[in-house]
Amino acid sequence: MTDHWLLRWLERFCDPTLWEGIQGDLKEIYAYEAETIGEQKAKRRMIRRSIGFFRPAFYHRQTQLKNSIETMLRNNLLITIRNLRKHKGYSAINLLGLAIGMAAGFLILQYVAYELSYDDFHTNKENIYRVRLDRSNNGEIRSQWAAGAAGIGPALLEDFPEVINYTRLHSSQVHITYDQQFYNIENGYFASETFFEIFNIPLLSGVDSLVLKDPYTAVLSESLAKKIFGNENPVGKEFKLSNAYDVLITGVFEDLPDNSHMDFDILYSFETWVDRTDPSARTNMYWDGYLTYIELLPGVDYKAFEAKLPEWILQREREELEKYNEGMTFHLQPLDQIHLISDFRGEIKPTGNKTATYFLGMVGLFVLVIAWINYINLTTARSMQRAKEVGIRKTLGSFRSQLVGQFLFESTFMNLMALLIAALLVLYLFPHFNAFAGRSLAYTWPTQPAFWAVFGVLVVGGTFMSGFYPALVLSGFRPLVVLNGSFSRSKKGNNLRHGLVIFQFFASLVLITGTFIVYKQMSFIQNLDLGVDIDETLVIESPRYESDSVYSSRFKFFKNLLTQESFVRDITRSNAVPGGSPGWNAGGIRLLTQNEAESQQFRVIGQDDHFIDFYGIELIAGRGFDKSFSTEASNVIFTEKAVNLIGLDEPEKILNQKIEFWGDTFNVIGVVKNYRQESPKSDFDALIFRYFDDPEGYYSIDISSNNIREVIATVERHWKDAYDNRPFEFFFLDDHYNEQYKAEVRFGSIFGLFGGLAIFVACLGLFGLASYMTILRAKEVSIRKVLGAANNNLWLLLTTDFLKLVGISIVLALPLTYYLMDDWLGNFATRINLDFWLFLIPAVILIVIALATVSYHTLRVIFTNPSENLKYE
Amino acid sequence: MKGSQIGELEELILLITAALYDDAYGVAIMKEVEQRANRSITISTVHAVLKRLQEKGLLNSRYDGATSERGGRRKHLFTVTVAGQKALEQSRELRNSIWDTIPKVAFNND
Repeated sequence: MTDHWLLRWLERFCDPTLWEGIQGDLKEIYAYEAETIGEQKAKRRMIRRSIGFFRPAFYHRQTQLKNSIETMLRNNLLITIRNLRKHKGYSAINLLGLAIGMAAGFLILQYVAYELSYDDFHTNKENIYRVRLDRSNNGEIRSQWAAGAAGIGPALLEDFPEVINYTRLHSSQVHITYDQQFYNIENGYFASETFFEIFNIPLLSGVDSLVLKDPYTAVLSESLAKKIFGNENPVGKEFKLSNAYDVLITGVFEDLPDNSHMDFDILYSFETWVDRTDPSARTNMYWDGYLTYIELLPGVDYKAFEAKLPEWILQREREELEKYNEGMTFHLQPLDQIHLISDFRGEIKPTGNKTATYFLGMVGLFVLVIAWINYINLTTARSMQRAKEVGIRKTLGSFRSQLVGQFLFESTFMNLMALLIAALLVLYLFPHFNAFAGRSLAYTWPTQPAFWAVFGVLVVGGTFMSGFYPALVLSGFRPLVVLNGSFSRSKKGNNLRHGLVIFQFFASLVLITGTFIVYKQMSFIQNLDLGVDIDETLVIESPRYESDSVYSSRFKFFKNLLTQESFVRDITRSNAVPGGSPGWNAGGIRLLTQNEAESQQFRVIGQDDHFIDFYGIELIAGRGFDKSFSTEASNVIFTEKAVNLIGLDEPEKILNQKIEFWGDTFNVIGVVKNYRQESPKSDFDALIFRYFDDPEGYYSIDISSNNIREVIATVERHWKDAYDNRPFEFFFLDDHYNEQYKAEVRFGSIFGLFGGLAIFVACLGLFGLASYMTILRAKEVSIRKVLGAANNNLWLLLTTDFLKLVGISIVLALPLTYYLMDDWLGNFATRINLDFWLFLIPAVILIVIALATVSYHTLRVIFTNPSENLKYE
Repeated sequence: MKGSQIGELEELILLITAALYDDAYGVAIMKEVEQRANRSITISTVHAVLKRLQEKGLLNSRYDGATSERGGRRKHLFTVTVAGQKALEQSRELRNSIWDTIPKVAFNND
């Protein structure tokens, strides 16, 4: 027993000066225990006891054991570090490239993972779908709703056994009052009582199925409850809705995470809305603006279910739909995909973009792969210098596997170092990246095993792949060839190396060209003539009063105060301002001479008689509104596009025509030129202007002062005088308008940043590669020079090789870039043409960068005195 | 030279080594600790502490006294050096001096 394998191991491990004493003690205890408690037990205890000796205190450092793993690793490490030190420049380039690639790859993949993580926290997400609606006239889609018809939820529940539950939300932008304080609630919704049963949003107080049951009840988000009530318990308290209705607070829900397509501060019971409007709000199929979510039985194929809906709705609503020649098409959106696939009317908050997200993922991979390619290129290019080492090692009896081990070890070491640097970079850059990407990614770090798995596999796989090829090449040298001197310039591996360089430049070029085109398109649409003047305009959200007369008289007072200020040029009121599609969507509109089946949908802006003048919209036929006419409220103005939609080709033809609008007759008095109500991303909209004496929504003020702070302070003072403590919410119209491009601008800058990084990393690689290639040819250059070659010829000789590679990558990159960017530009109604020069400029830039990188080395060699290079021959 | 401070276990083993004069080796020390201090200690810990004390210069060691129950292996015997003796005296004096300053009332627990 005393020669148990564990003891033999211990002997190797242990300091030999201590070993005899330890061994003796172990044997002594064993002998004693074998007699007292039996051999079996004694043996087990002995083993446990021996394990106790494997601790650093007994470890013998100077153990010399041939072929032990430890010795090999230590030797490998030594050689690796010596090599790194000997070639500091290349090591730095290599490390820097790898580290930047990894950090960039990590950040981007993290971003992509975040975008994909939306709404993953709902436990029942596989069975929950949002039902969104396309409405069409005469077979053409006229409006696309995320928030569709009011009655679809109950109708589906009634008619389909596979639907087991539904909930719906209807937006409510009202203010609430508690304890004399006004609170403007931007994201309040009326919600069915089933809301908390369907979604995993925990209630901190209140019961899931009861909180939203009765009319005039509401649940608050934790943060809103804190804001209004501080540390008091809000449940059981009442606040006033629109300063008119008492609403009882029945619960508090946990704030929603950022990675959800939903975001609310308050939910009122849906019955509140029904009570305030009409019982038909429960079932109406022609009121839009209702987000409906259904829960399907587990295992139901939602695509198959969706396919049944067109036939079903036609049966159910045949009479109405045929009368107006309308169509309704319902689409099911899986809950956890809504963020990426949906961008329609009535979204709760801005959604993401699937293409952009996948694009970015691709960019991240590009950067990472470029970094590894650098590693392969630099390492194999340097192989000439290591060739002698390999030759001598082989002569001295190294096995090929040992050499492979050495080189794999080196690449693992480099990758680990790079990973370390990358981790530091990421830690430092993360907050900046968050701000840049407009997301708060940090929350999801620990909770994404899938992300870590993918990233881990990438790093391990990349390390192995990038280490394996150089290892094979280097270990494959034949000692005789290497050592007798004939191995100065090998063609070996050139093709692969060239292929890799081509790929690097190909990827970089796709990225620069992409960035360039995104930039061009964005500046194109931002400089378009909008047809509407949005500069120097301050917009205030109008207060809400239940009484029309109070609303009207208060405004007169407010306007009076403002017009006395010298910086106020003009004021107008409207229920929509430029910078978004108007909330008022009206269907069923037609000329009186047309039949019902010819009716169409339009977006409507209610306004006073100043709006057209104020916003500099051009009148091309008829007249604008004038409040001195008593019948103005039954007059409307069309945009050109609206004229076309109703079926007339000339603006003049619609003047004085009568139209049918929700059961009333209106007279068309004018036509205005098309203007960009929404961003130029989308096409001109078909708009109808309607006159109101006192429109609610927004007050636009044209200001002529540069002292913004003073303007706001003054306006707010007057606001307080006119409206007491009604919330004063304002924005500048140009900022508001530009918000619409935010996603694109952000996309462009992320693209640009990582494109830049990719180019930088690729250039690092080229720099290192060029340096080695030229050093290898230094003697050739010197001899040519001695024989009379001109400098420019020599430069050409050395750079053509690289230029060829760049040329090939340009040829390869062009079609892909064209295809991708054409696809992206398809998102825009007005877009730039993909002219040749858009591709030429980035290509020229790339060539210049590549030339500069390569020339740095070639020129150095060319200008060296030939005797320097030839003196040892 | 590692720090001259010694820990509680080190002190205990140092004392026992002194007490066991000329028969202080791993197993004997372990048994002594178990009996006197009534605490269980593994043989590897004893060896580790002995090694540490020797590195601090508080112990000397030699090999002697092979027996058949030890499979013919000699014992690794330890003796306390002058420095070891000083360290023990120092810690004893420290304790005594602190004991002397404790007022009588401090332990009057009623």
